[in-house]
Amino acid sequence: MMNSKLKRSLLFWLFLSPIVVVILFPYAVMTITAMKSATEVLNPTWWPDEIHWQNFPEMWQTSGIGSALANSLYVSILSTALTIIVSIPAAYAISRYQFAGRNAYRQFLLISQMLSPIVLVIGLFRLATSAGMIDNLNVLIIIYTGFNIAFCVWMLQSYFSTIPRDLEEASWMEGASRWRTLRSVFLPLAVPAMVVTAIFTFINAWNEFVIALTMLRREENYTLPIRVLSLVAGRYTVDWHYVMAAAFVASVPVAILFAWLQRYLVRGLSIGAVK
Amino acid sequence: MQRATAPYFLILPSFLLAAAIILWPLKEIISLSLHDVNRFGMLREFVGLEHFRVLFADPDFIAATWRTLVWTVCVVLGTLIVSVPIALILNEDFYGRGFARILIMLPWAISLSMTAVVWRWALNGESGMLNSALRDLGIIGSNIQWLADATTAFPMQILIGILVSVPFTVTIFLGGLSSVPDDLYEAASTEGAGRWDQFRLITLPLLRPFINIAFVLNTIYVFNSFPIIWVTTQGGPSNSTHILVTYLYELGFRLGRLGEAAAVSLIMFVILLVFTIIYVRLAMREEKA
Repeated sequence: MMNSKLKRSLLFWLFLSPIVVVILFPYAVMTITAMKSATEVLNPTWWPDEIHWQNFPEMWQTSGIGSALANSLYVSILSTALTIIVSIPAAYAISRYQFAGRNAYRQFLLISQMLSPIVLVIGLFRLATSAGMIDNLNVLIIIYTGFNIAFCVWMLQSYFSTIPRDLEEASWMEGASRWRTLRSVFLPLAVPAMVVTAIFTFINAWNEFVIALTMLRREENYTLPIRVLSLVAGRYTVDWHYVMAAAFVASVPVAILFAWLQRYLVRGLSIGAVK
Repeated sequence: MQRATAPYFLILPSFLLAAAIILWPLKEIISLSLHDVNRFGMLREFVGLEHFRVLFADPDFIAATWRTLVWTVCVVLGTLIVSVPIALILNEDFYGRGFARILIMLPWAISLSMTAVVWRWALNGESGMLNSALRDLGIIGSNIQWLADATTAFPMQILIGILVSVPFTVTIFLGGLSSVPDDLYEAASTEGAGRWDQFRLITLPLLRPFINIAFVLNTIYVFNSFPIIWVTTQGGPSNSTHILVTYLYELGFRLGRLGEAAAVSLIMFVILLVFTIIYVRLAMREEKA
Protein backbone atom coordinates (compact mmCIF):
# COMPACT_ATOMS: atom_id res chain seq x y z
CA MET A 1 0.00 0.00 0.00
CA MET A 2 2.71 2.41 1.11
CA ASN A 3 4.77 1.38 -1.84
CA SER A 4 2.06 2.00 -4.41
CA LYS A 5 1.51 5.52 -3.06
CA LEU A 6 5.23 6.19 -3.34
CA LYS A 7 5.25 4.94 -6.91
CA ARG A 8 2.23 7.04 -7.76
CA SER A 9 3.83 10.12 -6.20
CA LEU A 10 6.96 9.72 -8.29
CA LEU A 11 4.90 9.28 -11.44
CA PHE A 12 2.78 12.38 -10.70
CA TRP A 13 5.83 14.52 -9.96
CA LEU A 14 7.36 13.32 -13.21
CA PHE A 15 4.23 14.45 -15.08
CA LEU A 16 4.16 17.79 -13.29
CA SER A 17 7.86 18.52 -13.65
CA PRO A 18 7.79 20.16 -17.13
CA ILE A 19 5.12 22.67 -16.15
CA VAL A 20 6.73 23.26 -12.75
CA VAL A 21 10.05 24.04 -14.45
CA VAL A 22 8.41 26.51 -16.85
CA ILE A 23 6.43 28.15 -14.04
CA LEU A 24 9.45 28.50 -11.79
CA PHE A 25 11.77 29.66 -14.58
CA PRO A 26 11.04 33.42 -14.43
CA TYR A 27 11.10 33.50 -10.63
CA ALA A 28 14.39 31.62 -10.60
CA VAL A 29 15.75 34.17 -13.08
CA MET A 30 14.51 36.97 -10.81
CA THR A 31 16.09 35.52 -7.67
CA ILE A 32 19.41 34.61 -9.27
CA THR A 33 19.82 37.93 -11.09
CA ALA A 34 18.99 39.82 -7.89
CA MET A 35 22.04 38.19 -6.31
CA LYS A 36 24.56 38.72 -9.11
CA SER A 37 27.11 41.50 -9.28
CA ALA A 38 26.80 44.15 -11.99
CA THR A 39 29.51 42.61 -14.17
CA GLU A 40 28.22 39.08 -13.81
CA VAL A 41 24.71 40.03 -14.84
CA LEU A 42 25.93 40.60 -18.38
CA ASN A 43 27.76 37.27 -18.49
CA PRO A 44 25.75 34.54 -20.13
CA THR A 45 26.09 32.16 -17.17
CA TRP A 46 23.36 30.87 -14.90
CA TRP A 47 24.91 30.76 -11.48
CA PRO A 48 26.75 33.66 -9.84
CA ASP A 49 30.31 33.06 -8.61
CA GLU A 50 29.53 34.85 -5.39
CA ILE A 51 26.25 35.89 -3.88
CA HIS A 52 26.01 39.65 -4.01
CA TRP A 53 23.71 40.57 -1.12
CA GLN A 54 24.76 44.24 -1.41
CA ASN A 55 22.34 44.58 -4.35
CA PHE A 56 19.46 44.90 -1.94
CA PRO A 57 20.75 47.83 0.18
CA GLU A 58 22.20 49.49 -2.94
CA MET A 59 18.93 49.12 -4.82
CA TRP A 60 17.07 50.50 -1.79
CA GLN A 61 19.27 53.63 -1.83
CA THR A 62 19.15 54.36 -5.54
CA SER A 63 15.74 53.23 -6.76
CA GLY A 64 13.36 55.07 -4.46
CA ILE A 65 11.65 51.77 -3.72
CA GLY A 66 11.10 52.76 -0.07
CA SER A 67 8.64 55.52 -0.90
CA ALA A 68 6.97 53.28 -3.49
CA LEU A 69 6.53 50.65 -0.80
CA ALA A 70 4.95 53.23 1.50
CA ASN A 71 2.62 54.42 -1.30
CA SER A 72 1.57 50.86 -2.13
CA LEU A 73 0.86 50.13 1.53
CA TYR A 74 -1.14 53.36 1.92
CA VAL A 75 -3.27 52.72 -1.16
CA SER A 76 -3.79 48.99 -0.56
CA ILE A 77 -4.66 49.26 3.14
CA LEU A 78 -7.11 52.13 2.77
CA SER A 79 -8.82 50.75 -0.30
CA THR A 80 -9.14 47.32 1.36
CA ALA A 81 -10.69 48.91 4.46
CA LEU A 82 -13.12 50.96 2.39
CA THR A 83 -14.06 47.96 0.20
CA ILE A 84 -14.74 45.74 3.20
CA ILE A 85 -16.77 48.41 4.99
CA VAL A 86 -19.18 48.87 2.08
CA SER A 87 -19.22 45.19 1.05
CA ILE A 88 -20.16 43.57 4.38
CA PRO A 89 -23.64 45.13 4.57
CA ALA A 90 -24.28 44.38 0.89
CA ALA A 91 -23.20 40.75 1.25
CA TYR A 92 -25.32 40.44 4.40
CA ALA A 93 -28.37 41.82 2.57
CA ILE A 94 -27.90 39.41 -0.34
CA SER A 95 -27.45 36.34 1.84
CA ARG A 96 -30.14 37.10 4.46
CA TYR A 97 -32.94 39.09 2.80
CA GLN A 98 -35.23 38.38 -0.13
CA PHE A 99 -35.99 41.69 -1.80
CA ALA A 100 -37.06 43.02 -5.18
CA GLY A 101 -33.95 43.87 -7.17
CA ARG A 102 -31.75 41.33 -5.40
CA ASN A 103 -31.05 39.48 -8.62
CA ALA A 104 -30.65 42.69 -10.57
CA TYR A 105 -28.05 43.82 -8.04
CA ARG A 106 -26.17 40.52 -8.29
CA GLN A 107 -26.10 40.86 -12.06
CA PHE A 108 -24.88 44.42 -11.82
CA LEU A 109 -22.00 43.15 -9.66
CA LEU A 110 -21.27 40.40 -12.13
CA ILE A 111 -21.05 42.87 -15.02
CA SER A 112 -18.83 45.21 -13.02
CA GLN A 113 -16.57 42.21 -12.34
CA MET A 114 -16.27 41.52 -16.05
CA LEU A 115 -15.12 45.02 -16.91
CA SER A 116 -11.48 45.46 -16.32
CA PRO A 117 -10.31 49.00 -15.53
CA ILE A 118 -8.45 49.13 -18.85
CA VAL A 119 -11.67 49.25 -20.85
CA LEU A 120 -12.81 52.29 -18.86
CA VAL A 121 -9.39 53.87 -18.36
CA ILE A 122 -10.08 56.84 -20.65
CA GLY A 123 -13.28 57.69 -18.79
CA LEU A 124 -11.60 57.13 -15.41
CA PHE A 125 -8.83 59.50 -16.43
CA ARG A 126 -11.42 62.17 -17.25
CA LEU A 127 -13.19 61.49 -13.96
CA ALA A 128 -9.92 62.06 -12.11
CA THR A 129 -9.11 65.16 -14.16
CA SER A 130 -12.45 66.78 -13.52
CA ALA A 131 -12.12 66.02 -9.80
CA GLY A 132 -8.64 67.57 -9.85
CA MET A 133 -7.20 64.31 -8.56
CA ILE A 134 -4.61 63.39 -11.19
CA ASP A 135 -1.35 62.38 -9.52
CA ASN A 136 -3.17 61.92 -6.22
CA LEU A 137 -2.95 58.54 -4.47
CA ASN A 138 -6.47 58.92 -3.09
CA VAL A 139 -7.99 58.58 -6.53
CA LEU A 140 -6.44 55.09 -6.72
CA ILE A 141 -8.11 54.20 -3.42
CA ILE A 142 -11.55 55.13 -4.75
CA ILE A 143 -11.11 53.41 -8.12
CA TYR A 144 -9.69 50.19 -6.62
CA THR A 145 -12.57 50.13 -4.18
CA GLY A 146 -15.10 50.51 -6.98
CA PHE A 147 -13.61 47.64 -8.94
CA ASN A 148 -13.07 45.34 -5.94
CA ILE A 149 -16.60 45.60 -4.54
CA ALA A 150 -17.97 42.92 -6.86
CA PHE A 151 -15.33 40.34 -5.94
CA CYS A 152 -15.62 41.17 -2.26
CA VAL A 153 -19.42 41.04 -2.05
CA TRP A 154 -19.36 37.81 -4.04
CA MET A 155 -16.82 36.10 -1.76
CA LEU A 156 -18.40 37.36 1.47
CA GLN A 157 -21.88 36.39 0.39
CA SER A 158 -20.79 32.86 -0.50
CA TYR A 159 -19.24 32.47 2.96
CA PHE A 160 -22.17 34.13 4.75
CA SER A 161 -24.54 31.65 3.10
CA THR A 162 -22.65 28.81 4.79
CA ILE A 163 -23.26 30.28 8.27
CA PRO A 164 -26.39 28.46 9.51
CA ARG A 165 -29.44 30.66 9.99
CA ASP A 166 -30.60 28.53 12.93
CA LEU A 167 -28.15 30.26 15.23
CA GLU A 168 -29.55 33.67 14.41
CA GLU A 169 -33.14 32.44 14.59
CA ALA A 170 -32.46 30.93 18.01
CA SER A 171 -31.12 34.25 19.16
CA TRP A 172 -34.25 36.09 17.91
CA MET A 173 -36.39 33.55 19.79
CA GLU A 174 -34.59 34.50 22.95
CA GLY A 175 -35.77 38.04 22.30
CA ALA A 176 -32.58 39.58 20.99
CA SER A 177 -33.00 42.36 18.43
CA ARG A 178 -31.82 41.91 14.86
CA TRP A 179 -28.92 44.32 15.46
CA ARG A 180 -27.85 42.58 18.66
CA THR A 181 -28.00 39.19 16.96
CA LEU A 182 -25.92 40.56 14.15
CA ARG A 183 -23.29 41.86 16.55
CA SER A 184 -23.04 38.98 18.96
CA VAL A 185 -23.89 35.94 16.80
CA PHE A 186 -23.38 36.61 13.11
CA LEU A 187 -20.37 38.88 12.91
CA PRO A 188 -18.10 36.81 15.19
CA LEU A 189 -18.79 33.76 12.99
CA ALA A 190 -18.10 35.81 9.87
CA VAL A 191 -14.70 37.14 10.98
CA PRO A 192 -12.58 34.48 9.23
CA ALA A 193 -14.40 35.08 5.93
CA MET A 194 -13.86 38.81 6.27
CA VAL A 195 -10.16 38.42 7.00
CA VAL A 196 -9.60 36.15 4.01
CA THR A 197 -11.59 38.38 1.66
CA ALA A 198 -9.75 41.45 2.94
CA ILE A 199 -6.38 39.88 2.26
CA PHE A 200 -7.30 39.01 -1.33
CA THR A 201 -8.63 42.52 -1.86
CA PHE A 202 -5.35 43.84 -0.49
CA ILE A 203 -3.35 41.67 -2.92
CA ASN A 204 -5.48 42.88 -5.85
CA ALA A 205 -4.82 46.48 -4.94
CA TRP A 206 -1.12 45.81 -4.30
CA ASN A 207 -0.66 44.28 -7.75
CA GLU A 208 -2.77 46.73 -9.78
CA PHE A 209 -0.94 48.20 -12.75
CA VAL A 210 -2.82 50.09 -15.44
CA ILE A 211 -4.73 52.61 -13.31
CA ALA A 212 -1.62 53.51 -11.34
CA LEU A 213 0.32 53.83 -14.61
CA THR A 214 -2.29 56.24 -15.93
CA MET A 215 -3.01 58.38 -12.88
CA LEU A 216 0.41 58.88 -11.30
CA ARG A 217 2.81 61.44 -12.71
CA ARG A 218 5.53 62.38 -10.21
CA GLU A 219 8.03 59.72 -9.18
CA GLU A 220 7.45 60.24 -5.47
CA ASN A 221 3.83 59.12 -5.94
CA TYR A 222 4.62 55.88 -7.79
CA THR A 223 3.34 52.59 -6.40
CA LEU A 224 5.60 49.54 -6.51
CA PRO A 225 4.70 48.11 -9.94
CA ILE A 226 5.07 51.53 -11.58
CA ARG A 227 8.34 52.21 -9.76
CA VAL A 228 9.81 48.90 -10.91
CA LEU A 229 8.65 49.46 -14.50
CA SER A 230 10.17 52.96 -14.45
CA LEU A 231 13.55 51.36 -13.73
CA VAL A 232 13.22 49.52 -17.06
CA ALA A 233 11.13 51.51 -19.52
CA GLY A 234 12.68 54.25 -21.64
CA ARG A 235 16.17 53.89 -20.19
CA TYR A 236 19.27 53.51 -22.28
CA THR A 237 21.05 51.25 -19.78
CA VAL A 238 19.11 49.13 -17.34
CA ASP A 239 20.65 47.88 -14.08
CA TRP A 240 18.91 44.53 -14.28
CA HIS A 241 20.33 43.27 -10.98
CA TYR A 242 18.69 46.21 -9.19
CA VAL A 243 15.46 45.80 -11.15
CA MET A 244 15.25 42.12 -10.20
CA ALA A 245 16.08 42.92 -6.56
CA ALA A 246 13.24 45.47 -6.60
CA ALA A 247 10.85 43.01 -8.24
CA PHE A 248 11.86 40.47 -5.58
CA VAL A 249 11.03 42.90 -2.76
CA ALA A 250 7.74 43.85 -4.45
CA SER A 251 6.51 40.30 -4.97
CA VAL A 252 7.91 37.87 -2.41
CA PRO A 253 6.02 39.06 0.73
CA VAL A 254 2.71 38.99 -1.14
CA ALA A 255 3.53 35.62 -2.71
CA ILE A 256 4.11 34.10 0.73
CA LEU A 257 0.84 35.55 2.02
CA PHE A 258 -0.94 34.15 -1.01
CA ALA A 259 0.63 30.69 -0.79
CA TRP A 260 -0.49 30.50 2.81
CA LEU A 261 -4.06 31.49 1.99
CA GLN A 262 -4.71 29.95 -1.43
CA ARG A 263 -6.78 27.06 -0.09
CA TYR A 264 -9.34 29.53 1.27
CA LEU A 265 -9.62 31.06 -2.17
CA VAL A 266 -10.16 27.63 -3.68
CA ARG A 267 -12.97 27.05 -1.21
CA GLY A 268 -14.56 30.49 -1.54
CA LEU A 269 -14.49 30.41 -5.33
CA SER A 270 -15.88 26.92 -5.59
CA ILE A 271 -18.72 27.77 -3.23
CA GLY A 272 -19.33 31.00 -5.13
CA ALA A 273 -19.03 29.48 -8.56
CA VAL A 274 -21.76 26.91 -8.18
CA LYS A 275 -24.16 28.44 -5.67
CA MET B 1 -42.05 48.47 7.01
CA GLN B 2 -38.53 48.73 8.39
CA ARG B 3 -37.85 45.21 7.13
CA ALA B 4 -38.64 46.14 3.56
CA THR B 5 -36.27 49.09 3.31
CA ALA B 6 -33.36 47.61 5.30
CA PRO B 7 -31.72 45.62 2.45
CA TYR B 8 -31.74 48.69 0.21
CA PHE B 9 -29.90 50.73 2.83
CA LEU B 10 -27.41 47.89 3.17
CA ILE B 11 -26.58 47.68 -0.52
CA LEU B 12 -26.73 51.43 -1.18
CA PRO B 13 -23.11 52.45 -0.35
CA SER B 14 -21.55 49.66 -2.39
CA PHE B 15 -23.94 50.31 -5.26
CA LEU B 16 -23.25 54.05 -5.36
CA LEU B 17 -19.49 53.58 -5.28
CA ALA B 18 -19.38 50.84 -7.93
CA ALA B 19 -21.84 52.72 -10.13
CA ALA B 20 -19.85 55.96 -9.90
CA ILE B 21 -16.64 54.18 -10.90
CA ILE B 22 -18.28 52.34 -13.79
CA LEU B 23 -21.25 54.31 -15.13
CA TRP B 24 -19.74 57.81 -15.06
CA PRO B 25 -16.62 56.82 -17.03
CA LEU B 26 -18.83 54.88 -19.43
CA LYS B 27 -20.90 58.01 -20.08
CA GLU B 28 -17.68 59.98 -20.69
CA ILE B 29 -16.40 57.38 -23.13
CA ILE B 30 -19.64 57.42 -25.10
CA SER B 31 -19.60 61.19 -25.43
CA LEU B 32 -15.87 61.23 -26.34
CA SER B 33 -16.41 58.64 -29.04
CA LEU B 34 -19.11 60.75 -30.72
CA HIS B 35 -17.39 64.16 -30.58
CA ASP B 36 -14.35 65.73 -32.10
CA VAL B 37 -11.80 65.99 -29.27
CA ASN B 38 -8.47 67.78 -29.15
CA ARG B 39 -5.50 66.09 -27.56
CA PHE B 40 -6.11 67.78 -24.22
CA GLY B 41 -9.55 66.22 -24.02
CA MET B 42 -11.63 69.30 -24.92
CA LEU B 43 -14.88 68.30 -26.60
CA ARG B 44 -15.64 70.08 -29.87
CA GLU B 45 -18.46 69.47 -32.35
CA PHE B 46 -20.54 66.31 -32.62
CA VAL B 47 -19.15 64.02 -35.33
CA GLY B 48 -21.40 60.98 -35.06
CA LEU B 49 -19.64 57.77 -36.03
CA GLU B 50 -16.62 59.47 -37.63
CA HIS B 51 -14.14 57.99 -35.08
CA PHE B 52 -15.44 54.50 -35.77
CA ARG B 53 -15.07 55.10 -39.52
CA VAL B 54 -11.45 56.22 -39.03
CA LEU B 55 -10.75 53.17 -36.89
CA PHE B 56 -12.08 50.70 -39.40
CA ALA B 57 -9.89 52.31 -42.06
CA ASP B 58 -6.83 52.06 -39.78
CA PRO B 59 -4.74 48.99 -40.72
CA ASP B 60 -3.12 48.93 -37.25
CA PHE B 61 -6.55 48.68 -35.61
CA ILE B 62 -7.66 45.89 -37.93
CA ALA B 63 -4.39 44.01 -37.32
CA ALA B 64 -4.74 44.50 -33.54
CA THR B 65 -8.30 43.14 -33.69
CA TRP B 66 -7.17 39.98 -35.49
CA ARG B 67 -4.23 39.63 -33.14
CA THR B 68 -6.59 39.93 -30.17
CA LEU B 69 -8.57 37.03 -31.59
CA VAL B 70 -5.43 34.89 -32.03
CA TRP B 71 -4.18 35.91 -28.56
CA THR B 72 -7.46 35.11 -26.82
CA VAL B 73 -8.06 31.79 -28.61
CA CYS B 74 -4.46 30.55 -28.14
CA VAL B 75 -4.15 31.55 -24.49
CA VAL B 76 -7.60 30.29 -23.47
CA LEU B 77 -7.41 26.96 -25.28
CA GLY B 78 -3.78 26.44 -24.25
CA THR B 79 -4.72 27.13 -20.64
CA LEU B 80 -7.63 24.69 -20.67
CA ILE B 81 -5.56 21.93 -22.28
CA VAL B 82 -2.74 22.33 -19.74
CA SER B 83 -5.03 22.77 -16.74
CA VAL B 84 -7.22 19.67 -17.03
CA PRO B 85 -4.42 17.12 -16.45
CA ILE B 86 -2.85 19.30 -13.73
CA ALA B 87 -6.14 19.51 -11.87
CA LEU B 88 -6.68 15.75 -12.22
CA ILE B 89 -3.24 15.09 -10.73
CA LEU B 90 -3.62 17.63 -7.92
CA ASN B 91 -6.95 16.07 -7.02
CA GLU B 92 -5.25 12.71 -6.31
CA ASP B 93 -3.59 11.87 -3.04
CA PHE B 94 0.22 11.78 -3.33
CA TYR B 95 3.34 12.83 -1.44
CA GLY B 96 4.06 16.53 -1.69
CA ARG B 97 0.66 17.45 -3.07
CA GLY B 98 0.36 20.56 -0.90
CA PHE B 99 3.76 21.74 -2.13
CA ALA B 100 2.86 21.00 -5.75
CA ARG B 101 -0.30 23.07 -5.37
CA ILE B 102 1.65 26.03 -4.05
CA LEU B 103 4.13 25.83 -6.94
CA ILE B 104 1.37 25.70 -9.55
CA MET B 105 -0.47 28.62 -7.88
CA LEU B 106 2.65 30.81 -7.70
CA PRO B 107 2.07 32.94 -10.85
CA TRP B 108 -1.31 33.96 -9.43
CA ALA B 109 0.36 35.37 -6.33
CA ILE B 110 2.79 37.59 -8.20
CA SER B 111 1.51 40.63 -10.04
CA LEU B 112 1.34 40.34 -13.81
CA SER B 113 3.44 43.44 -14.25
CA MET B 114 6.27 42.00 -12.11
CA THR B 115 6.13 38.67 -13.94
CA ALA B 116 6.25 40.56 -17.22
CA VAL B 117 9.25 42.67 -16.12
CA VAL B 118 11.10 39.49 -15.18
CA TRP B 119 10.28 37.89 -18.54
CA ARG B 120 11.44 41.02 -20.35
CA TRP B 121 14.83 40.45 -18.74
CA ALA B 122 14.81 36.66 -19.20
CA LEU B 123 14.10 37.16 -22.93
CA ASN B 124 16.81 39.80 -23.35
CA GLY B 125 18.69 39.08 -26.56
CA GLU B 126 22.26 39.73 -25.33
CA SER B 127 22.45 38.35 -21.81
CA GLY B 128 18.94 37.05 -21.10
CA MET B 129 18.88 33.84 -19.15
CA LEU B 130 16.53 32.00 -21.49
CA ASN B 131 19.19 32.21 -24.19
CA SER B 132 21.85 31.07 -21.68
CA ALA B 133 19.73 28.13 -20.57
CA LEU B 134 18.86 27.02 -24.09
CA ARG B 135 22.51 27.35 -25.20
CA ASP B 136 23.71 25.33 -22.21
CA LEU B 137 21.22 22.63 -23.11
CA GLY B 138 22.46 22.71 -26.70
CA ILE B 139 19.02 23.58 -28.10
CA ILE B 140 20.13 26.77 -29.83
CA GLY B 141 23.55 27.69 -31.23
CA SER B 142 23.39 31.48 -31.10
CA ASN B 143 21.37 34.08 -29.18
CA ILE B 144 17.80 34.73 -30.27
CA GLN B 145 16.52 38.34 -30.10
CA TRP B 146 13.18 37.20 -28.68
CA LEU B 147 11.48 40.57 -28.30
CA ALA B 148 12.92 42.27 -31.38
CA ASP B 149 10.55 40.58 -33.79
CA ALA B 150 6.84 39.76 -33.58
CA THR B 151 7.35 36.22 -34.87
CA THR B 152 9.20 35.29 -31.66
CA ALA B 153 7.81 37.95 -29.29
CA PHE B 154 4.12 37.20 -29.78
CA PRO B 155 4.35 33.40 -29.24
CA MET B 156 6.39 34.06 -26.07
CA GLN B 157 3.70 36.48 -24.88
CA ILE B 158 1.09 33.80 -25.52
CA LEU B 159 3.18 31.33 -23.50
CA ILE B 160 3.40 33.81 -20.60
CA GLY B 161 -0.34 34.38 -20.89
CA ILE B 162 -0.98 30.64 -20.56
CA LEU B 163 1.35 30.29 -17.56
CA VAL B 164 -0.36 33.05 -15.59
CA SER B 165 -3.88 31.79 -16.43
CA VAL B 166 -3.26 28.19 -15.33
CA PRO B 167 -3.56 28.74 -11.54
CA PHE B 168 -7.03 30.28 -11.66
CA THR B 169 -8.26 27.63 -14.09
CA VAL B 170 -6.85 24.75 -12.04
CA THR B 171 -8.56 26.25 -8.98
CA ILE B 172 -11.96 26.19 -10.70
CA PHE B 173 -11.40 22.59 -11.86
CA LEU B 174 -10.35 21.46 -8.39
CA GLY B 175 -13.59 22.93 -7.06
CA GLY B 176 -15.45 20.92 -9.69
CA LEU B 177 -13.55 17.69 -9.06
CA SER B 178 -14.18 17.84 -5.32
CA SER B 179 -17.92 17.67 -6.07
CA VAL B 180 -17.57 14.36 -7.97
CA PRO B 181 -18.71 11.60 -5.60
CA ASP B 182 -16.15 8.80 -5.08
CA ASP B 183 -18.70 5.98 -5.20
CA LEU B 184 -19.29 6.71 -8.90
CA TYR B 185 -15.71 5.63 -9.61
CA GLU B 186 -16.02 2.59 -7.37
CA ALA B 187 -19.18 1.55 -9.17
CA ALA B 188 -17.48 2.08 -12.52
CA SER B 189 -14.40 0.05 -11.63
CA THR B 190 -16.51 -2.86 -10.34
CA GLU B 191 -18.26 -2.71 -13.73
CA GLY B 192 -14.82 -3.13 -15.26
CA ALA B 193 -14.29 0.39 -16.62
CA GLY B 194 -10.62 1.27 -17.10
CA ARG B 195 -8.94 4.55 -16.14
CA TRP B 196 -9.53 6.14 -19.53
CA ASP B 197 -13.19 5.10 -19.62
CA GLN B 198 -13.68 6.49 -16.13
CA PHE B 199 -12.21 9.82 -17.29
CA ARG B 200 -14.22 9.91 -20.50
CA LEU B 201 -17.54 8.71 -19.10
CA ILE B 202 -17.57 10.15 -15.57
CA THR B 203 -15.00 12.87 -14.96
CA LEU B 204 -15.30 14.79 -18.21
CA PRO B 205 -19.12 15.08 -18.26
CA LEU B 206 -19.18 16.13 -14.60
CA LEU B 207 -16.38 18.61 -15.21
CA ARG B 208 -18.03 20.08 -18.32
CA PRO B 209 -19.93 22.91 -16.54
CA PHE B 210 -16.69 23.97 -14.84
CA ILE B 211 -14.82 23.86 -18.14
CA ASN B 212 -17.52 26.09 -19.62
CA ILE B 213 -17.24 28.60 -16.80
CA ALA B 214 -13.43 28.57 -16.93
CA PHE B 215 -13.64 29.05 -20.69
CA VAL B 216 -15.86 32.12 -20.49
CA LEU B 217 -14.10 33.73 -17.52
CA ASN B 218 -10.65 33.17 -19.05
CA THR B 219 -11.86 34.59 -22.34
CA ILE B 220 -12.91 37.75 -20.53
CA TYR B 221 -9.68 38.04 -18.51
CA VAL B 222 -7.35 37.31 -21.41
CA PHE B 223 -9.23 39.65 -23.74
CA ASN B 224 -8.70 42.39 -21.12
CA SER B 225 -5.12 41.54 -20.29
CA PHE B 226 -2.81 44.52 -20.56
CA PRO B 227 0.46 44.17 -18.55
CA ILE B 228 2.09 41.21 -20.33
CA ILE B 229 2.19 42.82 -23.76
CA TRP B 230 2.62 46.39 -22.55
CA VAL B 231 5.57 45.62 -20.29
CA THR B 232 7.41 43.25 -22.63
CA THR B 233 7.07 45.09 -25.98
CA GLN B 234 4.61 48.02 -25.56
CA GLY B 235 2.92 46.71 -28.70
CA GLY B 236 6.11 47.13 -30.71
CA PRO B 237 8.27 46.69 -32.69
CA SER B 238 6.35 48.98 -35.10
CA ASN B 239 2.89 48.07 -33.72
CA SER B 240 3.39 44.39 -34.55
CA THR B 241 2.33 42.96 -31.16
CA HIS B 242 -0.59 45.27 -30.27
CA ILE B 243 -3.84 43.76 -29.06
CA LEU B 244 -6.93 45.93 -28.58
CA VAL B 245 -6.20 46.94 -24.97
CA THR B 246 -2.63 48.02 -25.68
CA TYR B 247 -3.66 49.78 -28.90
CA LEU B 248 -6.38 51.58 -26.95
CA TYR B 249 -3.79 52.76 -24.42
CA GLU B 250 -1.38 53.84 -27.15
CA LEU B 251 -4.10 55.79 -28.97
CA GLY B 252 -5.35 57.49 -25.83
CA PHE B 253 -2.22 58.24 -23.83
CA ARG B 254 0.64 58.23 -26.34
CA LEU B 255 -0.85 59.53 -29.57
CA GLY B 256 -3.53 61.74 -28.01
CA ARG B 257 -6.23 60.37 -30.33
CA LEU B 258 -8.80 60.31 -27.53
CA GLY B 259 -11.90 60.03 -29.69
CA GLU B 260 -10.64 56.90 -31.43
CA ALA B 261 -9.41 55.44 -28.13
CA ALA B 262 -12.89 55.94 -26.69
CA ALA B 263 -14.35 54.23 -29.74
CA VAL B 264 -12.06 51.21 -29.17
CA SER B 265 -13.22 51.16 -25.53
CA LEU B 266 -16.85 51.07 -26.60
CA ILE B 267 -16.25 48.30 -29.11
CA MET B 268 -14.52 46.28 -26.37
CA PHE B 269 -17.32 47.06 -23.94
CA VAL B 270 -19.92 45.63 -26.34
CA ILE B 271 -17.84 42.48 -26.93
CA LEU B 272 -17.42 42.02 -23.16
CA LEU B 273 -21.12 42.49 -22.60
CA VAL B 274 -21.79 39.63 -25.03
CA PHE B 275 -19.29 37.41 -23.16
CA THR B 276 -20.92 38.36 -19.87
CA ILE B 277 -24.39 37.46 -21.10
CA ILE B 278 -23.05 34.06 -22.18
CA TYR B 279 -21.50 33.64 -18.73
CA VAL B 280 -24.71 34.59 -16.91
CA ARG B 281 -26.66 32.14 -19.07
CA LEU B 282 -24.19 29.35 -18.25
CA ALA B 283 -24.12 30.18 -14.54
CA MET B 284 -27.92 30.32 -14.38
CA ARG B 285 -28.18 26.94 -16.08
CA GLU B 286 -25.80 25.57 -13.43
CA GLU B 287 -27.92 27.02 -10.67
CA LYS B 288 -31.03 25.33 -12.01
CA ALA B 289 -29.34 22.00 -12.63
